[in-house]
Amino acid sequence: MPEDNAEHGTDAPYTSEQFINAEKEMSYLTQKSLQKAKLSGNVMFTKMGEIAKLAAKPIKDWGRTNSLWPLQFGLACCAIELMAFGSPRIDAERKGYLLFRATPRQCDVMVVAGWVTKSMAPRIKRLYEQMSEPRYVVSFGECATSGGPWYESYNIIHGIDQILPVDVYAVGCPPRPENLFMALIKLQDKIRGDTNGDSEKSISENIKRNEI
Amino acid sequence: MPLTRINVGPVHPSTHGVLHFVVDMDGDTIRHIETHVGFLHRGVEKLCETRMYMQIPSYTEKFDYLAPLAWDDLYVNTVEKVLGLEVKETAKYARMILLEFQRIASHLVFLGTLCNDLGQMFTMFMWSFRERDSILRFLEDVTGGRMFYVNIRLTGLNRKLPDDFKEHAHALADSLETKIKGYKEIMESNPIFVERTKGVGRITSKQAVEYGVSGHALRASGIEYDIRKSNPYYKYSEMKFKVCTETAGDAFARYKVRYNEIFESISIIRQALDAMPDDNNVEGMPIKLISPQAKPDIIVNNSEMPRGEGIIYLVPDKQRPYRIYFRSGTYTNAAVLEHICEGIKYADLFTILGSMDLVAADIDK
Repeated sequence: MPEDNAEHGTDAPYTSEQFINAEKEMSYLTQKSLQKAKLSGNVMFTKMGEIAKLAAKPIKDWGRTNSLWPLQFGLACCAIELMAFGSPRIDAERKGYLLFRATPRQCDVMVVAGWVTKSMAPRIKRLYEQMSEPRYVVSFGECATSGGPWYESYNIIHGIDQILPVDVYAVGCPPRPENLFMALIKLQDKIRGDTNGDSEKSISENIKRNEI
Repeated sequence: MPLTRINVGPVHPSTHGVLHFVVDMDGDTIRHIETHVGFLHRGVEKLCETRMYMQIPSYTEKFDYLAPLAWDDLYVNTVEKVLGLEVKETAKYARMILLEFQRIASHLVFLGTLCNDLGQMFTMFMWSFRERDSILRFLEDVTGGRMFYVNIRLTGLNRKLPDDFKEHAHALADSLETKIKGYKEIMESNPIFVERTKGVGRITSKQAVEYGVSGHALRASGIEYDIRKSNPYYKYSEMKFKVCTETAGDAFARYKVRYNEIFESISIIRQALDAMPDDNNVEGMPIKLISPQAKPDIIVNNSEMPRGEGIIYLVPDKQRPYRIYFRSGTYTNAAVLEHICEGIKYADLFTILGSMDLVAADIDK
């Protein structure tokens, strides 16, 4: 097969035109990444490693975006909606949420679904620390976001963001599976770098929330 | 041989919530097991002392989140007894229908997760969640909420039933019956399922009574006890249904009781739909119109929930409960684990856990 040969270099795979085009494209990409990094041409050779990093970043982000493995970790009621999220009505796999893994060491996303009690908080923190980087946290539901209806209780942490850095909030009691799906699509946007920090504030940080 | 100590949980895919077991193993055999609960304790009973009577249903429904209407209904029924109110005739039937649909939805989750725990991954889970979703869509149509409804008001329901309630309910009952009948083949003709459940986690009828096991686990041990039959509320005394029992007392018997109860629930739904008056007079009292007229008598009320017997002990005050105590069947069902799990293999622990159908939030309160 010609393609196999091309990989092993026994046959000439490309025409000269394709070579020229590829070269042009490469130089264009290099220039673009240099502009981003604000480097002058002279230091190009000394900063080769940095350029490689710059070129690799979009590829890395693309890979991370489309293969997120959530932690199979349910605290309370919202975990049932988390299960419904993987059930046939909203098939989570079509957006890259592949497998719910039971061990934190294989996971990228932690969906905190339920109220966090004082005895559970150190254990959740331990789970988060066991996850490998880069790791993301989604706060799912009123209880994980702010304490919810148990706000006045003596045994409740008022929001998971007091112990973990939260990327996306999904609000509802419990949020519908569609809401979680939207939150995770937003998380994908965030990983891809499509959102700027200020213009896309999370729902709970949004100042307009008071007006609504 | 020295014993090995293994921590199962608090975060474990098969514990159905946040339960913690400390298991002492001799090889592959469990010698001792210790259950730790309380990771989801949020002090509901204390919170209830500072809430008005009809603010509490939004708490009670979050105990057993797979069947929110059950606790909701029991609580509101208790308050009705405290205030000396009578439930409207049509509302009694409507509540029964909603409760039975809720019971089926809860049992479907049991079937799906039990198969997941046994390693029969995702086929039953996907099927049962598909059917559960159709029930949730129906309940959403009636009440306005997908999972939590807060639909039951004093003397009735929150709002009128939709116009096509009866047709919709009949059609749903028919489709559920045909679909759930198909489950039997995939469960019971599967040799792995049968091997892993038959004879595992036996509770004898003597043990079941002594340890206070309730719900399907009690009936699977051969004791015919169902509060819908023995102490009927609403219109259950007029309905014809049998209490499903098994004699083996193992995990398979528990599954079998659950599976048969679904069809009993469907038959109750059909009878209630036929007997229900057409006037659609189900609207209960608005929340704000409750006057302080509670009797000072202590009330104890119970009802048959999907996960055993729920009991409320209520010391009323004028506008809010002075003291309220909730007792659910899952708590005693979790307590019996320490006694029946000694001497079994490690892998069977999760069969027993799955077949007892625990909900950690219902245990902890």
